[in-house]
Amino acid sequence: MSTDDAFADAYRAHYWAVSRFVARRLDGQAHEVEEVVAEVFSIAWRRRAELPDAPLPWLYGVARNCLANTVRGLGRYRRLLHRIGHHEAAHGRQTVDSPDTERPGSWVHDVLARLSAADQEVLRLTAWEELTVEELAVTLGCGQSAAAMRLHRARRRLRAEIDRTRMTVSVRAGDDGNG
Amino acid sequence: MGDELDLLRAADPARADDGPWRDGPLHARAERGLNRLLHSARTKRARRRLVLRAEAAVLALGAALAFTFSDAGSGKAVAMPVALAPRADAPAVPLAELARRAEARARTAGAADGPHRGSHLQSWYLSMRTGPDAAPPVTVPEERITRWRADGSGSELVVATDPRLPGRPVINDTGGSWHTVNDGKVLHRKTYPAGSADGQRQRRLTVRTKPPTDPGALRDQLATLYGGGGGGRGDTAGPAGARTPQLLLALSSLRQEWTPGPRETAAIVRVLADAEGLRPAGAVTDRLGRRGQAYVYDGPDGGRNATRQMVILDPRTGQLLGSEITFTKNLPDLRIRSGEVLSYEAWMP
Repeated sequence: MSTDDAFADAYRAHYWAVSRFVARRLDGQAHEVEEVVAEVFSIAWRRRAELPDAPLPWLYGVARNCLANTVRGLGRYRRLLHRIGHHEAAHGRQTVDSPDTERPGSWVHDVLARLSAADQEVLRLTAWEELTVEELAVTLGCGQSAAAMRLHRARRRLRAEIDRTRMTVSVRAGDDGNG
Repeated sequence: MGDELDLLRAADPARADDGPWRDGPLHARAERGLNRLLHSARTKRARRRLVLRAEAAVLALGAALAFTFSDAGSGKAVAMPVALAPRADAPAVPLAELARRAEARARTAGAADGPHRGSHLQSWYLSMRTGPDAAPPVTVPEERITRWRADGSGSELVVATDPRLPGRPVINDTGGSWHTVNDGKVLHRKTYPAGSADGQRQRRLTVRTKPPTDPGALRDQLATLYGGGGGGRGDTAGPAGARTPQLLLALSSLRQEWTPGPRETAAIVRVLADAEGLRPAGAVTDRLGRRGQAYVYDGPDGGRNATRQMVILDPRTGQLLGSEITFTKNLPDLRIRSGEVLSYEAWMP
């Protein structure tokens, strides 16, 4: 398979996954997400000679840099990451809890936002992009042991924040947070 | 209660099974984006020449022409093809007149008259490597046949050949690396079984989308699928006339995917008749010995304004016969002299 064919396959297979990656991190409208995704694949195209056999974590890595560059110029990156809890509202979508699933509301996003940017990213990549530690290392551009350590510490800090929040929520609103 | 990662998972703001970014087929804009990228590779040689950006100034092509011509003497088909010379003394057919002829012919066309997916063409491209160790430019002649049938089966065949010098070795360009191959060497051959319509290549929008028979719709399609001059995003920069060279490149790309029938041909000629800066240059005999009418554009090309594009049409039917891009200025930093050919395509039914 030629490099171009491999790229086309990766594009088709992962277009939506990359879109979700961008949407989760960009407090923008759908067309803004689409523009950033187009830029991600444009950069990936120029670097297609580097495309690995499992391209998704690599594409996430490209998207991370692209996203940072995209919003850095606007001076919004940090602010946007902290506003991620309002992401669904920004897109006009409401979370509708189905009867059989627990959908923690924006409080989980609030908890996440209290962590460092590095912790947030490693947690998002694991929970939302569902990366393994090996894939995490590719996306973050670090070694596997470093990735595992970063995830371990981030989870611990997230756990602590959740416990603290649950305690507060329980005290304030009874059993609300324990669906 | 799940662990902290389960909680986070459940709060995913962009789910794979729901919402605007859920998994599913690509929408048209995403397909278009992919096509633009793939298309940019196909025409990169030509575009590279057209754009001729500032970095070209640092190229060290070292004795390019000396190499080219000395090698031609040793039998390799690397000499640049000589530019076609339209006969200005012959009566020129205005494009509007040719559009009317093509439209008249289109009205009598039957259901079996196309368009047909696939194409047959001979081409030369000037190929140059860039960078301090760059080797001299060579021309890369080849013949390409792509055919698709109604049952979704198809075949592709690319042969290295130079009809001007039959039997001579031919230079082949593989990803910027040159090899001498025998005339007639098969560079690429692939067959697709019936039902390949679901295959990756067949899913490409350019392959799936028939060229329209309405000139306006065709212009839009050239802009959106082939990046050609119709005001598509990213193609609007520069003076309006600079869209015409992009339009001609887009037509070349379309012609590599499809063989138009009389109805599509009529739309193509009408689009050309409406294009700015394209003027009749007289009668010409093309590389395959066919008589045609040449129409040239030598206005702003979005780069150094150092190129002339020519499209050759059959004066009776308006059928696209070929295209040629030549340099109109000396470009000493690229060792290019005015009049040299950058690319040439000859399309066959």
